[in-house]
Amino acid sequence: MGENPSFRDGLLAAVPTLRAFAVSLAKNADRADDLVQETLVKAWDKQDSFQPGTNLKAWLFTILRNEFYSQMRKRRREVEDSDGSITAQLSVHPSQHGSSDLTDFRKALDLLPEDQREAIILIGASGFSYEEAAEICECAVGTIKSRVSRARTRLQEILAIEGESDFGPDALSAQVTKSAVA
Amino acid sequence: MTKPFKELGRNTGKEKGMTHQKVENSRTSGKRNSAEDPLGTNSEIGRKLRQYYDELVSDDIPDRFSRLLSELEEREIPQPATKED
Repeated sequence: MGENPSFRDGLLAAVPTLRAFAVSLAKNADRADDLVQETLVKAWDKQDSFQPGTNLKAWLFTILRNEFYSQMRKRRREVEDSDGSITAQLSVHPSQHGSSDLTDFRKALDLLPEDQREAIILIGASGFSYEEAAEICECAVGTIKSRVSRARTRLQEILAIEGESDFGPDALSAQVTKSAVA
Repeated sequence: MTKPFKELGRNTGKEKGMTHQKVENSRTSGKRNSAEDPLGTNSEIGRKLRQYYDELVSDDIPDRFSRLLSELEEREIPQPATKED
């Protein structure tokens, strides 16, 4: 049987939080599941490089994040040939889960630049320390801190004007396209 | 605590960014110093963020992941890649 049942169990136990992170990054449930799948395969293949006793969750998040950005780069290259398609792809939002009072928050989160969104998710939701988040994002702790702070300010701004501004699909995709192409 | 993982080629360190140190995770205990925690319990944004994420985490997990891991495990059996020092 599996030589390494606990590695498998560790991966399986991390799936829910990996999926949540993947949805936050990809803004699309199907793409998120593909990301998680790819992450599990990669993690399995390189399990020898995982150092026992270190943080498995952080290690998996690093793999998932790298996978996400490498897919993004690939997509952006493709988009240069077929413009317009990225707007359709990126603005598909994951199925509306549960309570609707989070809808505005979700939309606001989607408006953040990727680096800020991932930082605020890692720190504010996934439960990582600033040091861990810095390792996952391969940047300095100070960079994470400033991204979190900018993300928080931006979210406050967006949510404060929420009543006056209609976040229709157009407003959203305009923003998304801008940040995706930038 | 028992070590659940095989001791294999410790600290190969060849993967960039794969060398996570043991860092105490202050968040799991929910006790990050609130004075310097902009997303703590007093923060509306922080609260919504956790609500948003917890909802995602509590989603039903498709079987495909557990099946995938079983397949990966079975794939390993023919090649006993046990590196015994």
